[in-house]
Amino acid sequence: MGILVLAMAAFANADDGTSSMARRQQGILTGMPFMANVSARAYVDDAGRRMYFAKPPARIVSLAPSITEMLFAMEAGAQLVGVTDFCDYPPEALTKPKVGYSNPNLETLVALQPDLVVTPHDFLKPDVIVKLEQLKIPVFILADKNVEGIFVHIQTLGRIVGHSAKADTVAMQLRHQVATIQQRVQGMAPVRMLYVLNSQPLITVGPGSFIDQLIGMAGGVNIAAKSVTPYPRLSMESVLQEDPEVLVFPVGKAEGISESEQQTWRQWSTMTAVKRSRLHQISADWLNRPGPRIAQGLESLAAILHPDNTSGNRTER
Amino acid sequence: MADIVASWAQAGAVLTVQRWVVVIGGLLLASLAVLVLCLQFGATSVGMGTVATAIARLLRGDEAGSPSLATSEIIMVQIRFPRVLMGFLVGASLAAVGVTLQALLRNPLADPYVLGVSSGSALGVSVAILFGLGSTFMLLPVLPLFGFAGGLLSLVLIYRLAQSKGRLPVHSLLLAGVILNAILTAFIMFITSIMEPNRSAGLMAWLMGSLTAPGYPALGVFLMYVVLVLGVLMHKAQSLNVLTLGEETARSLGVETEGVKKQLFVLTALLTGAIVSVSGMIGFVGMVVPHAVRLLIGSDHRLLLPASALVGGMFLSLADTIARTIMSPAEIPVGIVTALAGGPFFLYLLLWRKDRML
Repeated sequence: MGILVLAMAAFANADDGTSSMARRQQGILTGMPFMANVSARAYVDDAGRRMYFAKPPARIVSLAPSITEMLFAMEAGAQLVGVTDFCDYPPEALTKPKVGYSNPNLETLVALQPDLVVTPHDFLKPDVIVKLEQLKIPVFILADKNVEGIFVHIQTLGRIVGHSAKADTVAMQLRHQVATIQQRVQGMAPVRMLYVLNSQPLITVGPGSFIDQLIGMAGGVNIAAKSVTPYPRLSMESVLQEDPEVLVFPVGKAEGISESEQQTWRQWSTMTAVKRSRLHQISADWLNRPGPRIAQGLESLAAILHPDNTSGNRTER
Repeated sequence: MADIVASWAQAGAVLTVQRWVVVIGGLLLASLAVLVLCLQFGATSVGMGTVATAIARLLRGDEAGSPSLATSEIIMVQIRFPRVLMGFLVGASLAAVGVTLQALLRNPLADPYVLGVSSGSALGVSVAILFGLGSTFMLLPVLPLFGFAGGLLSLVLIYRLAQSKGRLPVHSLLLAGVILNAILTAFIMFITSIMEPNRSAGLMAWLMGSLTAPGYPALGVFLMYVVLVLGVLMHKAQSLNVLTLGEETARSLGVETEGVKKQLFVLTALLTGAIVSVSGMIGFVGMVVPHAVRLLIGSDHRLLLPASALVGGMFLSLADTIARTIMSPAEIPVGIVTALAGGPFFLYLLLWRKDRML
């Protein structure tokens, strides 16, 4: 949290527009002193790399669905010239040229003549970044740490691409939405839940994963909390012992939880979630993508966990 | 311990009924002990007492899953027991198939996955996961059905490719298998590459090899199947002995080698397809257990085959117990344990008895 506050303060300083470029190399944690002398249009990405944009980039390639969604949300869609194969929201994203995903086609990417490539920290192969740097194409890396981080990313991108007013509005609305949800579930008895990424073998989310944080924010308790890895294959034995009250299945756009998968879970007839028939599906894209629809995902997760409380006063979008 | 082992090894040349009974009887007892031991450990602290009451209840024929059963008993009866048993069956099958293929192909590197049938199974499962097909069909899990169908298809394909003039030459069998393996693996990699990363995680986890707790109907089908195929393989043990001498010698000794080879190939392929379809690719057991057992008790297949099966079963049950508990409540792929535990042990055996290798 401290880092975030620092980062926010740093942006505020960057806006002051002191234009003397200090060439001292310093990390973001020592932020304040050097940020004070840095140009208005210099930015530090989550890999600690500093870059300078003379004018807002006009040809942007996004290497993650979440980043594409951010850019569209801040109405910078027109500047977007390339997206990944999985960028399907908003529908306009489908019309953009595709460059691949974790292993993007470098020739296609370079042929698009981007003046900015925005990429997530995970998934992407390091040699792609090295190659793009050799080609003098700026690569801005975003690392997803928590929900507030997403909103900071939206604001940072907004400043870089010249849509800071809209980006700030979007971020503030999302912050408000998330705060409302958290206020609502505060003081309610936390609900034990299991997030079923994959049934056979059982894979779920553990501490350190993004979704684990969302579960906590939505008023839930992740029963895989004792696991040491972020995406553990959880032992079925411990699932029965921890006895989840709710099972949540992330699903794609069209499909629901298949009848047979439900049957597989219903065989555990002593499990509270099964006794109460609380097998729920949730749109995987909302939770998996650290983008502007995260508030929507949190909202629906909170609604699943605390159904009575949300029926009357759903927050407007 | 080492003395007993050494005396077994020295007696390796001669197989008497008495020695067979002693070795197999001893291994059966050891297997039972290992199974009970494995039932003791799990992600939850359900101990020996529950094992006893659960088995007693099971024997009395109480409906498992009825509300009267406490959670710990459900864990024991519905999860741990079928899983340990499945581990034993898979391990036994892998080792038996390994023994058979090493003799049939006269190749010490042969393992159940060498002939491409496993990749066929794996491709079947990948396709099922890609299209998001459900997980059960008439009580039987869908993924194994797809895996088995894929295995059968590639079995027919390899058979057709390798066959020439009514014969089934070993080298063309091996080549056809290896090449088909490569082609099918490419298809699997293609499927994982077009899947969204968070969906392909499930497929990757499956491909790495994992045991799950099967339902009793599925376990029953698999058990019958394994017992049947292992029975027939046992029946062919003497032919395997002759085949290891070389096909010319075997023919001159009056063995109808072509027929035996074809039968053995089909049997092992059928068993491999079934193994891969229930557990994915669990490496190491099928190759190393036969070698280790051969080093210890000699290479008469009438003894080697059942002994390897029992040792393979024990080895995989133990390995899976480690995989289940070492990072509890999370599990790790059992293939990691089989390789890390089995590899050094095998190297030790190799140093100890280099001369008896094959």
